[in-house]
Amino acid sequence: MRKIWDFHGGVHPIENKLQSNQPCIVAMPPPQLLVVPLTQHIGKVARAIVEVGDYVLKGQLIARAQGFISANIHAPSSGYISDLTDRPLPHQSALSGPCILIDTDGKDQWAQLSPTAHPESLPKADLLSLIQAAGIVGLGGAGFPGVVKLQPKNLIHTLIINAAECEPYITSDDRLMREYAHEIIAGIQLVQQLLDQPLCLIGIEENKPEAIALLSLAASEHSNIEVCVIPTKYPSGGEKQLIEILTGHHVPHAGIPPDIGIVCQNVGTVKAISDAIFLGQPLLKRITTVTGKAALRAGNYEVLIGTQVKDLLAYAQVDLSQTSRLVMGGPMMGFTIQDTDIPIVKSSNCILAAADLELAPIADHHACIRCGQCEVACPAQLLPQQLFWFAKAEEFEKAEDHNLSDCIECGACAWVCPSQIPLVQYYRFAKGRIKTLNSEAQLAELARQRFEFREQRLIDEKLAKEEKRKARALVAANAQAAKRAADPTAQDPIAAALARVNKQKLAQDTVNKAPKKPEDEYKRLKTAAAISRTKLNKTSKALLEAQAQKHEQTADLQATLISLTSKAAAAQTELLAYETKLGLDPEQEKNLQLAVAKASGLVRKLEKSLATAAVPQPIKADMLEAKAIHQSAIKALADQQSNHAKKLTLTKKL
Amino acid sequence: MALANLSSPHHHSFNKTSQLMGWVLLATLPGLVVQSYFYGYGTLINLIWASGLALGFEALILAMRQRPIMPSLTDGSALVTAFLLALALPPFSPWWLTLVAILFSIIFAKHLYGGLGNNPFNPAMVGYALCLIAFPLTMTQWAGTEEVLSFVQQWNWFWLESIDGGIDAWARATPLDLMRHTKGLTLTELAINDPQLALGLTASMWVNLAYLLGGLALLALKVFTWHAPVAMLASLGVCAGLFHMGEPDLYPTASQHLLTGATMLSAFFIITDPVSGATSRKGKIVFGVGVGMLVFIIRSFGSYPDAFAFAILLMNLSAPLIDTYTKPKAYGHQPKKSSPRGDAL
Repeated sequence: MRKIWDFHGGVHPIENKLQSNQPCIVAMPPPQLLVVPLTQHIGKVARAIVEVGDYVLKGQLIARAQGFISANIHAPSSGYISDLTDRPLPHQSALSGPCILIDTDGKDQWAQLSPTAHPESLPKADLLSLIQAAGIVGLGGAGFPGVVKLQPKNLIHTLIINAAECEPYITSDDRLMREYAHEIIAGIQLVQQLLDQPLCLIGIEENKPEAIALLSLAASEHSNIEVCVIPTKYPSGGEKQLIEILTGHHVPHAGIPPDIGIVCQNVGTVKAISDAIFLGQPLLKRITTVTGKAALRAGNYEVLIGTQVKDLLAYAQVDLSQTSRLVMGGPMMGFTIQDTDIPIVKSSNCILAAADLELAPIADHHACIRCGQCEVACPAQLLPQQLFWFAKAEEFEKAEDHNLSDCIECGACAWVCPSQIPLVQYYRFAKGRIKTLNSEAQLAELARQRFEFREQRLIDEKLAKEEKRKARALVAANAQAAKRAADPTAQDPIAAALARVNKQKLAQDTVNKAPKKPEDEYKRLKTAAAISRTKLNKTSKALLEAQAQKHEQTADLQATLISLTSKAAAAQTELLAYETKLGLDPEQEKNLQLAVAKASGLVRKLEKSLATAAVPQPIKADMLEAKAIHQSAIKALADQQSNHAKKLTLTKKL
Repeated sequence: MALANLSSPHHHSFNKTSQLMGWVLLATLPGLVVQSYFYGYGTLINLIWASGLALGFEALILAMRQRPIMPSLTDGSALVTAFLLALALPPFSPWWLTLVAILFSIIFAKHLYGGLGNNPFNPAMVGYALCLIAFPLTMTQWAGTEEVLSFVQQWNWFWLESIDGGIDAWARATPLDLMRHTKGLTLTELAINDPQLALGLTASMWVNLAYLLGGLALLALKVFTWHAPVAMLASLGVCAGLFHMGEPDLYPTASQHLLTGATMLSAFFIITDPVSGATSRKGKIVFGVGVGMLVFIIRSFGSYPDAFAFAILLMNLSAPLIDTYTKPKAYGHQPKKSSPRGDAL
């Protein structure tokens, strides 16, 4: 007897298997309508290759796998394609997905099948392609495309067949093993052939004695297939738990079983592989348990993929008035469905129509008292009570630190919780949030990388341009040099131009350097002072305007004004200094000019009044006097000006 | 009928908090019976009074906090606090002492921190420690075993604090007290000189054995795991044993430590409180070891004869830290177990 290990935790819910595992599997006749989803597996959605109105035969390929992780889909029965449309899928979210709708014609007519009688002589690649063509996916629940697991990178020493069926109520694998033990063993041999003949361990919970007996009998002639009876404890059928039970080893965190030389296959999957090879039948039906007290004909049914749940429920005589909760899958990990139009897919192992008192009541939960029963029950050796507090407080980092990602959502913690807290729901919430946050962070990171890449590209382009320009210049220079070499008399035009420019510059410098005439200098200073005054006036006007309008550039203008004020003052001081140096007195000249203007004004006034006066005599006298004053003022100004000029000339002489 | 949309699992063990609390209450009964047999009706009267008070205060504070009253009242947690306090308080404690302890336990230690599940300290121990500090004299009036009070005497004392000859005529020092204040005698001399010690030790032993019985029943019912009680008893036993080996005249034996005072009551009914204790199993071991060592230290070198309230409160304080450092390794994180098997399967 092989040593059996125990795994941490686990629970013992009431099994409730007897009500469905007694009757034989009944093949349900094809329903009128089949709804075949294009995604019944993990991975890429298959692509439909039929059109509305096409007639398809049973087993005909209707959707082709896209990529490595994807699966073919075949027509489960013969009939006409009535629609290609989105329909609600069997998932907790009840989201819709693309489906092919087939109106069956009731003939259930097979397409041409090509069975293989002696697969042991086939090369691996051919065998794999046959399995892939048949659209085999894992029937245990996840629906992982079968061929992926059958070509592992590592050497596989153990093939584990999961026949534990630890979920309460479900008996589809139990019945399958009782009725198809030989097909299962044949399927196992095919898988062994593909994995280079590893030892095969079939893990079955001890609560299935008939299946154990029949399978042991079928396996007895094969030395490398062992039926291992394991204690009944939920969730022994979890892949990681079953591996621990049968080998004592853990699949490393974030790893997969092939990492430790193990491949796990569901018992239903190997039966499907056997059918695909020996009968040439693609995967288009499965065994589904219909059970619960609301099901009058509880039992296992061979159902075509795409059969709507309502048709199956009707066939199994389920009284929907007796239940308020329809579960797809088992009571521990299954999900509730509200819409009975959804189809049975490759991974639908059970429909549970339990009467209301059979399942956990929909009760308010109490406070967590950290009793730790969940920790005792957790098969992943986590601290469910801590994860609950972290999820509730949205402390996702702490939740991740406590290995939330290792939670397999088996529900053992929630099952034992005396406070009836829906723990798994909290974990799903936290996992979902973490996923969203991570993908958001990833998007942000991507955007940052794109931005940085663009910046780098612009810089690179600029540098490349510069390089090119340099290269061009070099080529031109070389060409020029070559030209010159060829014709030494010809002048280099650039050099000539440079020489010209330099010459001009030199001339300019000499001019600039020559001593300036005082008149010119004085004029320049005056102009400078005048310009700076004008600038100052303009700016102060602009500033006033800006302040009135509260323009945003007010501050800038203010700064400009200050600098201009100082510049104007400097120009004025320079001018004054120069004047003093020359002994000029512009003030005096101004006064004289003023006197001249005054005198001429007076003269003009008197002339006017003289023209209109009745008595001209006194005015004439005044007029004479004014004219005299005017003359003298003009003379004084002229003197002053000539004096200025003289002084300027004098300075020049100095 | 509309079909419900619910998250898995859809099945439940039908475990209930109130059921757990009920088991705890039931498991105290052997201890209660033996304690009443040796020390009279005091504990029983106290227990009934404390239970009424606890339910009353719980309802009051829930109403003040505008929380639903019945679900919390029926979960049994207030009753557990009342039972533990009543069992821990001396049989001669008057009504007001219990009232103060319960009031402080339920309202301050439990509900002001957010109610059941959120209290960092064990409510019963907070109430007990408060009384120990505030009313040290009343808290050390332990009953004698040679002649117990009649029900009427006990009743009068409980409500009116009147008794023939005064309570001092009836009160006796506990064995721990006697062994702590030996007046210069060695323990052997003390045992010969003071017949009280042997009597007290015997009574105490039976009481502790009764609590041990109740505790083992809870362990069998999987109300808690073995880790904290076993770790606590082991660490107390080891400490006591080592010191006794070194100085037999000064330090009582390990079995005397384990079977006197509130050792078993604490080991199985108080440090197993999940709310205020450490979470993981490794953490519970650390927690238990800490309590055991602190109890020994305070009993031997501190100024209080028994030490559980303080030891437990101190360890409650350390529980979050213990949790941080005793996180169990999850599946797939143990390097040893995840390596492939060397031998061919």
